[in-house]
Amino acid sequence: MSEQEIREGMLLAVWDEPPLDFDPDTLIRRVEQKKSRRRALVAVGVATAVIAVASFSLPGLLPRDRDTHLGAEVQTTTSAPPSVPAERKAQRLGDKLAESLQAQRKDLKDVYASFTPGGFVYPPYSTSTSAPPRGTGDPEYTGHVYLTDIIGPTALRVVVTKAGFNKQNFCTSATLCRDVAQADGTIVTEGEFFQGTTDVQQVEVARRFESGLVVQIGAYAYNPSNGSGRRQTVPVSVNVLTALVMDSAIDWE
Amino acid sequence: MRKADEQGFREFAAANAASLRRTAYLFCGDWHTAEDLMQSSLMKMYMAWKRIKDLDNLIAYARKVLLRTWLDEKRRPWRRAEQRDGELPDAADATVDPDTTSAKLWARELVHTALLQVPPRQRAVLVLRYFEDLSVAEVAVAMGCTEGTVKSQTARGLATLRTIVDKLDNSSGRVAS
Repeated sequence: MSEQEIREGMLLAVWDEPPLDFDPDTLIRRVEQKKSRRRALVAVGVATAVIAVASFSLPGLLPRDRDTHLGAEVQTTTSAPPSVPAERKAQRLGDKLAESLQAQRKDLKDVYASFTPGGFVYPPYSTSTSAPPRGTGDPEYTGHVYLTDIIGPTALRVVVTKAGFNKQNFCTSATLCRDVAQADGTIVTEGEFFQGTTDVQQVEVARRFESGLVVQIGAYAYNPSNGSGRRQTVPVSVNVLTALVMDSAIDWE
Repeated sequence: MRKADEQGFREFAAANAASLRRTAYLFCGDWHTAEDLMQSSLMKMYMAWKRIKDLDNLIAYARKVLLRTWLDEKRRPWRRAEQRDGELPDAADATVDPDTTSAKLWARELVHTALLQVPPRQRAVLVLRYFEDLSVAEVAVAMGCTEGTVKSQTARGLATLRTIVDKLDNSSGRVAS
């Protein structure tokens, strides 16, 4: 079979070709329909993908405590409340101080502390979890170390401040007031107040750091946390307070 | 698409649809499939018309699209294969010349039986070379291969076709030339 025969055979093979019913307009219309269907399919696909991605990513973007935030009022103020680390640091100081007091006075019971950044919050047993905003002259930390001795429950008053120290004011009405230089170079001012009685009604110590920080601890013949619990004299001596303020385990600064 | 471009495609399609369908018929051996292949190829060309309308040899590009469409269709595993249980016999026509009719029937047999047994790419080469009368270089462009491949595929296709035709002739008593 020659190539010419193959050529002729192929030409003869299409001799009974059926009539062609071809309309370019119909074809163009079909293509346009196909295009619009494809666009719709792509749009549906994109929309589905966006919904899927959003449903996976949104829970991660929302805050974790979403339930509490959704139920709470919307905060309109931009001033941030005191940060949680500052509160923790204040409480850590108080806990250390309570440990130190318990170590020195093993006869005391229920020794614990409640410290907050900034000034004192009244009433001291407030259930609020966050301290009020701090003012410019407010102390760094304030708090009470609660204790129970043979007489009953009372507390020590603690103020940590950078607002400066005025010895004259500190010693006003003090029966005994003196500066005691410590081994580390800091000075502790001790004051005892008899207030016209034969027993000490108030003892206070103030430790001054070179940085300007002042730590002041006071004990009273009443409970300074609530003003009640009157007693004959102070629950702890000035020496105990000095030991507390000088305890190297407490990082005041 | 602009009206002028659309009109250009319309003219091209109307002028070449029949030719493309014939080529497709020799590829696949069925007029209905051939028409589907031709329409699919023209649809693809319409979608790319903006890009291809300025090509020098549009019909060569159309043949290439047709070939790719057919080969793609054959490759699909889910390709719909029409199950036919026979063809309707042609109605008797007393006016036709028996010799001519015999030659035409043999030619159809050549396509239906022999050419369809040749592997697809070899068949494509034979159709493009001997039906479309394309040169080796043009077939190479249409098939996307080298001229050497076209030559080797042609040689193998011819050998296969001759073997099958010999078998057909021996079984029907016709003497191969």
